[in-house]
Amino acid sequence: MRPVKIILGVIGADCHAVGNQILEKVFTMNGIEVINLGVMVSQDEFIDAAIETKADAICVSSLYGQGELDCEGLRGRSIERGLDNIILYVGGNLVIGKKAFSETEARFKQMGFDRVFAPDADLNQVSQLLKEDAAARG
Amino acid sequence: MNMLKNKRLDPDEFNVERAQVLASWPTGADVNFDEGVAFHKSLPAEKRFTSVLGEAHKADRTLIQPRAGVALLNEHIDLLQALSAEADLLPTTIDAYTRQNQYEEAQKGIQRSLEAGRSLLNGFPAVNHGLRSCRILAETIEKPIQVRHGTPDARLLTEITLAAGFTSYEGGGISYNIPYAKKVSLEATLRHWQYADRLVGLYEEQGVRINREPFGPLTGSLVPPFISHAIAIIEGLLALEQGVKCLTLGYGQLGNLIQDVAAIASLRELADEAFQAAGYEGYQLTTVLHQWMGGFPEDESKAFSVIALGSAVAVLSKATKVIVKTPHEASGIPTKDANLRGLRATRQMVSLLQDQTMLDIKRVIAEKELIKSEVKHLLAKVLELGDGDVAVGTVRAFQAGVLDVPFAPSVHNAGKLMPVRDNEGAVRILDKGKVPMPIDAWEKHQSLVKQRADFEKREANYQMLIDDIYSVSKGRLVGRPR
Repeated sequence: MRPVKIILGVIGADCHAVGNQILEKVFTMNGIEVINLGVMVSQDEFIDAAIETKADAICVSSLYGQGELDCEGLRGRSIERGLDNIILYVGGNLVIGKKAFSETEARFKQMGFDRVFAPDADLNQVSQLLKEDAAARG
Repeated sequence: MNMLKNKRLDPDEFNVERAQVLASWPTGADVNFDEGVAFHKSLPAEKRFTSVLGEAHKADRTLIQPRAGVALLNEHIDLLQALSAEADLLPTTIDAYTRQNQYEEAQKGIQRSLEAGRSLLNGFPAVNHGLRSCRILAETIEKPIQVRHGTPDARLLTEITLAAGFTSYEGGGISYNIPYAKKVSLEATLRHWQYADRLVGLYEEQGVRINREPFGPLTGSLVPPFISHAIAIIEGLLALEQGVKCLTLGYGQLGNLIQDVAAIASLRELADEAFQAAGYEGYQLTTVLHQWMGGFPEDESKAFSVIALGSAVAVLSKATKVIVKTPHEASGIPTKDANLRGLRATRQMVSLLQDQTMLDIKRVIAEKELIKSEVKHLLAKVLELGDGDVAVGTVRAFQAGVLDVPFAPSVHNAGKLMPVRDNEGAVRILDKGKVPMPIDAWEKHQSLVKQRADFEKREANYQMLIDDIYSVSKGRLVGRPR
């Protein structure tokens, strides 16, 4: 079986780089192939990279609060550009202000994300979920 | 554009550039320098950053300042008025789209915030709001306001906010590039910030003193003091050359009390020495301590301890001001109430300790001397690379990895230097990459890191560094193995 391949990046005008570098390290250690676009990645850059590399998933980070504005429409745009079956994950400090995580999760699932993670998510667990979700999609 | 040099910008060149800057977005047309000067002169001392800082410096007091900014003007006024009750100095934090000069996106953010009835932006989009709205802020708020942001090309933002009457301005050509941008060249940002500094110099020459603050903590992720100090001092030198006279140099709390107090003490002494050695005089120098910039505990009571520790460092080291975190830090942008609670916690600690100091403690002095030797060594190398020109040297030093900031997003940063905590939590160097260090200092770092590795019976490596990145949010300073 080929390894799970993901596009990783921090969306929008967000330049938080620390977590991004650690995500790359931990996902790689878990046997996932990571194409890391780094910080300040647009929706189209995520999609271009996913098309080009035939990735299984796009993993979006957002730490600066404007994730709600930046992530809206990513699912629709992915489908529009032929990525009918791509897995979309999002994680970080996704909204402005302290809100119950369940509320944020519901908001982003409604936008079309398959899974939504809080900033303290266990990255080994996330790696496991990625493998399961990729296997389920075949 | 002429080749980058640390030299005061030519007036004609500046004026040509200025016309382009002001034409780059419609609100630029409202900027009127002379009218701005007149407005500044009408401000009472208690609304001017330089006066309030100067008084605090004289009295050896530590001032407190929050971060805050929302999308809409009236909401922002409400927020600042509420914070004004607890803070000595106020901010206007700028949103992330404006920081990237994405004014169309910022406009959409304003619109969507209006529709949603809450701020969807992480700061105040001052360029879009324009001079009149910013002026309303400067008129309404009774305390000094600083622009705080993270903008690689902030020329238009500087023009608008200074003409509107803000009296302090954060940023710099390195500190607002390397931690805040991905591909923007250092030559470009150093030049853009010469423009901002020159504009502050022009106000100074008209009798209006504006405070300038390079952003000390950089990536806020275990940046060793000698790295951030060297960069703060370089930005200070660049600002002085353009005619800036009031500088506040900053440092982000790392967590070890001795190291943090020594860091502020050394920053003050090093800056004075470097500025005087370069022939500058008649400037006003103060310091700022940023409370812990890394990951915070989710639990609010635990967060208050981190806030209080930072407040203690600020006051025990006689920093002129402290930038305050909030109990909501782990989840991002705080509410007004959370921001106020962070300020109150800080105020209490600052008051409790204000008549004490740790500056004369032996271990603090030893640590201070260590930092000073490291910074001098590094700055000498930067100047050497620039054939005596600090701007040129900075560009070459980043290219060579001689200046290297941990965890920076910029492709122009080598990212080879690896920090790690020692057994008491002070930040040391695990791998110095291409950063030059005095031999005895480097040996000391190695031996302190080895001490921890021996204690934890494991190797000092990237895993140890990851443990240190998450340790504070998990309730301790040193990221011990699980």
